[in-house]
Parts: sequence; C-alpha cells; structure tokens
Amino acid sequence: MMIELKNIEKYYANKGVKSYILRHITTSIKQGEFVSIMGPSGAGKSTLLNILGMLEEPTYGDYEFMGENVLSLNERKRIDLYRSHIGFVFQAYHLIDEMTVAENIEAPLLYKKIGSAERKSRVADILDRFSMVAKRDLFPNQLSGGQQQLVGIARALVAQPSIILADEPTGNLQSVQAIQIMELFKRLNEEEGMTIIQVTHSEINAGYGSRILHLLDGIIKEDVNLK
Amino acid sequence: MFRLNLKIALRNLWKNKAYTLINMGGLAIGLASCMVLLMYVAYEWSFDKQFKNNHKTYVVYNLANASGRIFSWAWTPGDMAPDVEQSIPGVAYASHSSYPEDRLISYGQRNFKKSGVFADPSFLKILDYKFVKGNPDKVLKGVNTIILTETMARNLFGDEDPINKTVKLDNAEVLKVEAIIEDIPKNNSIRFDYLMPWALNVKVNPWMKTNGYEGNFCLTLIQLQDNNYFERANAQIKGIYKQHKKDSNSEAIMHPLSKWHLYSNFENGKSVGGRIDQIKIFFILAFCILLIACVNFMNLSTARSEKRGKEVGVRKTIGSSRKSLIGQFLLESLLLALMGMLVAFVLLEISLPYFDELLDVNLSINYSDWRFWSALTGLTLITGFIAGSYPAFYLSSFEPVKVLKGATIVGNSSLSVRRVLVVFQFVFATCLIICTTVIYQQLSYIKNKPIGYQRAGLIEMPIQGNFKAPEKLNTLKDLLIKSGAVSSVTSFSRGLNEDGNNTFSVEWPGKNLKDETLFNFRFAGLDFVKTIGTDMISGREFLSSSDSSNAIINESAAKIMGLKNPVGTMINSQGTPLNIIGVMRDFVIESPYYRARPMIVYHHMREVNVIIARLNPAMNVSNAIGKIDEIIKTLNPEYPVGRKFVNDGFEQKFQNEKLLRTLSNWFGGFAVFISCLGLLGLALFMAEQRKKEISIRKVLGASTTNILTLLNRDFIRLVVIANLIAFPLAYIIVNKWLSAYEYRINISILPFVIAAVLSLLIAILTVSVQSVKVAKSNPIDALKYE
Repeated sequence: MMIELKNIEKYYANKGVKSYILRHITTSIKQGEFVSIMGPSGAGKSTLLNILGMLEEPTYGDYEFMGENVLSLNERKRIDLYRSHIGFVFQAYHLIDEMTVAENIEAPLLYKKIGSAERKSRVADILDRFSMVAKRDLFPNQLSGGQQQLVGIARALVAQPSIILADEPTGNLQSVQAIQIMELFKRLNEEEGMTIIQVTHSEINAGYGSRILHLLDGIIKEDVNLK
Repeated sequence: MFRLNLKIALRNLWKNKAYTLINMGGLAIGLASCMVLLMYVAYEWSFDKQFKNNHKTYVVYNLANASGRIFSWAWTPGDMAPDVEQSIPGVAYASHSSYPEDRLISYGQRNFKKSGVFADPSFLKILDYKFVKGNPDKVLKGVNTIILTETMARNLFGDEDPINKTVKLDNAEVLKVEAIIEDIPKNNSIRFDYLMPWALNVKVNPWMKTNGYEGNFCLTLIQLQDNNYFERANAQIKGIYKQHKKDSNSEAIMHPLSKWHLYSNFENGKSVGGRIDQIKIFFILAFCILLIACVNFMNLSTARSEKRGKEVGVRKTIGSSRKSLIGQFLLESLLLALMGMLVAFVLLEISLPYFDELLDVNLSINYSDWRFWSALTGLTLITGFIAGSYPAFYLSSFEPVKVLKGATIVGNSSLSVRRVLVVFQFVFATCLIICTTVIYQQLSYIKNKPIGYQRAGLIEMPIQGNFKAPEKLNTLKDLLIKSGAVSSVTSFSRGLNEDGNNTFSVEWPGKNLKDETLFNFRFAGLDFVKTIGTDMISGREFLSSSDSSNAIINESAAKIMGLKNPVGTMINSQGTPLNIIGVMRDFVIESPYYRARPMIVYHHMREVNVIIARLNPAMNVSNAIGKIDEIIKTLNPEYPVGRKFVNDGFEQKFQNEKLLRTLSNWFGGFAVFISCLGLLGLALFMAEQRKKEISIRKVLGASTTNILTLLNRDFIRLVVIANLIAFPLAYIIVNKWLSAYEYRINISILPFVIAAVLSLLIAILTVSVQSVKVAKSNPIDALKYE
C-alpha cells in the first residue's frame, strides 16, 4: 500500500469555533493508481492534496506513506522523504522565473545531491522525451502556458518520484493543451506505472484516471473506481 | 549548486536593475564613507609607530607644580638625557634634541627656510630613520655637519651628489653633508627637513653647556632595553629635577612615544586623552554609517519578499532545505556587497586626494599591505552578512503552501522590525543634521565676533638677516611707507597668531601672595596700536625708544591687577621694574574661543622678531604685495621674503572645527541620503503589501489625494518619532561639544527646526515617488489576482 490515511481531520480554531476543512478522511491509495480528487470549491480538495504532499499537517489522524508514519517524522526526514518520492505539479506551474528550462528541471536533482554527469544526462533525457530540447535555454516567460506546464511536469518527473501530486494541472490551460497534458499523465500511469493524484474540477480530466474521490464539505462522499 | 545559485543571483540582480542600483549605491556610499573614516583613524593611529622600537620608547614630560596646579609639557633640561642614560638601569638610549625650528639653509644661490632639528647620536639609535646614503653609526658626531632629507637634498643640490658638499646655515655656519635620509612621513610627531649635531647647537648657544637644570629647552627621548624596566625607570626619573636642583617644583614622567600624538592632553599631571577623543567619534561614525547602509539593504530586500516568496515556496516543494535557501540569499547579499565594494573603491580613489587636502594628511591605499586587503575583505564579508542576514532568515522562513496559494505572507512583525530600522536610520541622520548646524553656527559666531583688532589687510614677516640691525629695520619702514604700499608699520616679538612667551612672575601693588596668574608678555615697536587697528582705553602707546622702561598692559591684566588708575602704576615683571603708560583693548592672540589672557607689552627693539604692516587701502593688494616683496628683496637678498597675511594665520585656528564641520557635513549628507534609500525601500514594501487594500478603497471611491494621505501618514509618523528620539540625544551631544568653549552660542531652537523640517520634507518627497504610483494605479490589476 502506497498511502494510508486514517481518520484525517483538519480544522482551524478561531475564537473557540472550529471550522472544519477535512473530516474523517480514511482511504488508501495503491501503487500505480491514477486518482482524481473532485468536488466543489471549498470542499477541501487542495488541503487534502497538500497533506498528501506533506506540505501541510492534519490536525488529527494518521498518515502512512510507504509504510512510514509521516506525522512522527521531523522536518529533515520529511523533506528527505518527499524529495525522493514525491513530484509536485501546480496549476500556476510555479517555475522559477530566473532559471532557464534546463535549470528549472535540474533544480530538484541539485537538492538531491546528484552528481553533475548524471544530472546532465537525466535532464537531457527528459527534455528529449518531452521534445523540448530546442527550448532548453529559454526562460519560463518565453513559453506558452502548456509548454510551461510541460516543464513543470518534467521537473516533477526528473527526480524519479514514486508519485505525482497535481493540483489542477490544466486549470490555466486551453483545452487543446489540457488534453495533451492529460494524455501525458495517462501514458505515464499506464506505461510506467506512475502513481498520480490530481485535483480537478473537470469530469473529462477525471475520466483519464482510474479512480475518483468525490469530496463535499471535507468528507469523502463517493469513491468511484473507473476500471 | 553554488554555480547555479551564483548565476541565479546575478540574473536576479540584473533583472531588477533599479533595485540593484539603489542597493548597491547605498552600500557603496556606506562602505566608502566607512573606509575613508577608518583610513583616517588608522592614519592617526599609525603616528610614530613606524619606528622599530616605538613600543619601548618614551617621551619625558615635565610636570611643573605652580601653586597647586600642575602644568605638563615635553620640554626638559639639556642635562637630563646624559644623566638618565648613566644613572637609570634598563635605559638603552636617552637622547636630547631641539624642537623643529625654521632656519635659513643655502647652497650657492639656492636659499630655503626649512625646519631643522639638533640632536645627539642616540637620537638616531632611538628613531631608526631610513638612510639613503651615509652610515647611521657615524653621523651627528662632529660639529659642523648635517643630514638632509631626500627632498631637501634635491631642492638644494638638484641631481648632484650632496655627500661631503657643504651648505650654509643662517648665512653663518658651514655644514658638511654627511648623510641623506628618507623624507619624514606626515604621520610623525617630530618632522624636520634636516638634522644637525647637538654640538652645533651648543656652539651657537654656549649658555646651554652650563645651564644644568635651569631651563627646559630640549625634547628628551628614552628607549628602554625592554618594558619590564618601565615601572622602575619611571619611578626613578620622577625625582630627577629635585636631585639636581633642590628648589625645583618639577617632576618628570615617561610618556610612551606611541601615545604621544593621540594622548597629548594632561590634566594635573595625568594623561587625559587628546586627539583620541575625536578619533573615537570618527570610528563610531564609520560603523554607524555602514550600519545604516546595511539596514537599507535589509529594508529593500525584504520589501521584495512578495516576489521572492514564490521562489522560496517552489524551491521548498522541490526539496530545498531552509539552510540552502539561507545560503542562497546570503550569497546574493555578499555579491551585492562585493559590487558595492568595487564602486566604493572607485569613490575612495576619487575622493582621497580631496580628503588629503582637507584634513592635511596623507591617506593613500597601500595595495601591497596585507592588512589593507584583509580589512577590505573583512568589511565586505561583514557588510554582506549583516545586510543579508535578516532578509535571508526572514525569506527562508516562508511556508510553501501559503506562498503558493497566494496568501499574504507578510506578517506584521517583520514590518515593525523594519519600522524600527527606519526610525534608527532617521535618528542618526537627524542627529547629524543638528550637530552640523550647531557647528556651523558656532563657527560663524566665533568668526564674526570682534577679535579686538582689524586683521584684514594686515601682513607680517619675520625679522631676519639684515633686518636684525635696527637701522636697517628703520630704513625698511621708511621705504615701505614711502612706496605707498603700506600705511603703517610696527614690530612685535611674535606673530599675531602665535602663542607662547608667558610668565607667572609679575608683581603689582596689592598683589595677593597666593596669586598665580599666567601673563603673556610681548615686545612691541612704535605705532603698534595704530598699525594693528586697536585702541587704547587709557594712556598712550610707545612713542620713542625712551619708553624702554615703560609698559602697556591689556584690559584683562588691568582687571586682574585690580588697579583703579593703572596708568602711572609701577609693576615688576620678571625682575624688571616697569611703569604702566597705557591700557589697550584685549585682542585675540591665542584661541578665539577663550577670553584673552592678561598681557604685558614692553618696548625693546632688540627683542622684536616680526614686522607687522598694514596695507594701504588706496593701493590694490597685488600691487602693494609686489612692491613690498621688491623692497624686502633688495634690502635682504639672502633670505626668502616669508610674508604672510595675518588673516590666513587666524583661519588656522579654526582648523579643527572646520575639519569637524566638513566631515559632519559630508557624512551627515551621506547618512541622510542612505536613510532616504531605506525609506524608499519601506515605501515600496508598504505599497506592495497594501496594494489590495488601496485597490478596494479606490473601487469604493477614494481619491488619489485620500490614498496619498493614507500612505504618507505612516511615514511621517515614523520620521516624527525619529525626531523626538533624536532631539534630546543631539542636545546632549552638542551641549557637551559646546561646553569646551568659553565663547559659545546658546543652543537655539533653530537647528532642531531645520532638522525636523528637512527630514520630514525629504521623507515625504521620497515616499511620494512611490505612493503616487500606487495611488494612481488601476485597481483591477491588483484585485483580479485573487
């Protein structure tokens, strides 16, 4: 089992009043699944994804990632864990503006302290795979949104994570580009067995996955298996 | 990793050129100011330290007890050095030497009035001057010999080899050149152009031989074998006066040579500082300016946090640790500090000649000195680190989720830290403005204060060579007046701006026996009062040579003597009975900041040394000067004219205050400028932070003026707070500074008003540059981001 959530709760206490964002979330995600989290605005989708990505901590509950209890880890261990296993893709791409395409992709490898030769070959590899070799020295603002998101995905993949967390990856894209990105995710999932969790509003995007979690007011209303 | 960080840092700086320029400019000015001040401090600190054994060398001070008060000066008897060398254990060398004095030195047709010193061979053992030619062990042993500095030798001999050639001293003694030494650097307390044997001094002044411990006319230097002997030697030398002269009221102490320059003030026989106080101020000033430049940097860097925040968030999510982020931000600030240092370097090289002239020092960058480079590196690193520390820790603390979600990341705490920093900057700047204004006021007050005589149009020149004969002097006087260049001529025993020549031994009827008043005494020629443009309060001035047993006293002397009718009273000065024939108005001889000291003026033409002449106002100055020079040249061809304007000499008295004024002016200006950059940073930050609030207000109907008031009010409050803190602080400082002067201005409200208005005005202007932009921006741009 890749991810085990037990009774995850998240709330903000404000003057004694608790406002819940997530309630009693219990689920598990297996290696190789392509899960879409859906729901209306304010349902807690992004918070759930952030908790999965260890960017946020739940107020209460248990979270095991590949058999390890995440919440008991200290910051350094947690960083180590997600550095080696998790790749993030954001709606707003969040590329570093001052870095070129190649440098953006290389950045996570630097933090993993991977040798220069291997870094070079991995970056070259992935640029090749995404057909972006010609754009390697361009800066993010010289690319279209779709291309930027491709770089974002390449950056997530280059560290060879076990799971990709994507927060509305196509939210800022036009439909043609969105389809390309979703096709890419699907291929990654089917051909390479990559575990993917995405947050999305769109039924069509969710259709590319293997499973949908419907969230409403912080509770899992429905867990649909598409296969 | 490092390379990438470096590359990104550079790209970042390049992308935000305006920001980089402001930041770098602030740091550069801060660093350059700091370095100039530090170099000046180092220069003052380096005085007399280039001698190998300076740490075990001492200057003997004479502490003379005059009815309870102890006067201290470094003048000692001629016999002291040999006595010390013989009788005190642990003394390696003791030397006596004269104080530098200008004398005429000539070779063929070349005449120079340059300063020379008489010294014994030990002098060169104690102070190891660098010999260019000649053997240091064999010089100063004869009588008619001389050692020249390189420049002196070049002036006299040109390209000839001076060794074994002869020069003439005061047109009398023929001296053989024994050796050439390197020029004496400016940071030496004892400076001269040539050095002659002590034996020559004794030959010219035979009384020195038998003077014993009667007169104090030498500088005595002592070098110990090592400093362990100091306590004992100092104890032994204490009683040396009484040992040789039973009724002496003097004691001797050893004052370290290395402290001579900076710790030259004595109070009741104890060393109480001196120039060191000023040096300390400059030292503190140096770091304060650097600090406000760093504060600036912090302000500007954190101001851009919104922009950098996203980068921090992304980096953290792709696996960066906080440590590596801190490293990256520090790298950026170090890079800026380095760039600032490069610019500072250029500024420094450009401004050094100016400061050299201003401060009359010789500051230069010694590129081969490792200490210079390590100070430079140290300063850059410290600046980069201090400036970068707060932004680095602050920026790296952002939580990625919040940043990436676009929530406001900026807490209020960081803002208040920055407010405190800006207040600190402005307190410093306001203090400097107030101090500068007060220094200006005090200087102009003293300068415009009547000094008791008309110093404009007054010239003076030394009585030398032919003019020593009274007939020649009379001829000169006649010729000068006949030429129409001057309207009247007189003579005086010292220059009008020179101090010295004073005595305790003045007796008058009804004098209290315990009274120990120090009187100045001078000798004046005829027409003295008329020429210098003062007047008599009662009685008359000297009219003829028959007045040689008469005296004129000044107002202060009359007051101290408490005489009802001073004219006609008999007094006794230094054993000479004198009849007072007049009382003249007080005039400034010594410091214009103090009441004139009581003075007695005798009439004795053998004792006068200076000709004083008033230029004829009917003739234009350069014409008159030309005529005077011509007449003097014909009558006294062997000597340089040596004519000076009394006004110039008077200006010299303000040297210290002028220096302080100029420095506080410059560095105060810099401090204000840098503080404004800091304020601009804060304004940028506030504008960014309040973009949404302002947009909403505008959508709700606020006008541009409303928004401007809203934004500027905050800053005005900060500056007002800074002013309130600065006022008492500045008051204490200027009050302390002024209290050292007897004649001083009352601290008025004016400097404080100037400082307040100036700081507010500058602040509002600076802030408005930014707030106008924000107030005029389209609200939709800010709001649609949500």
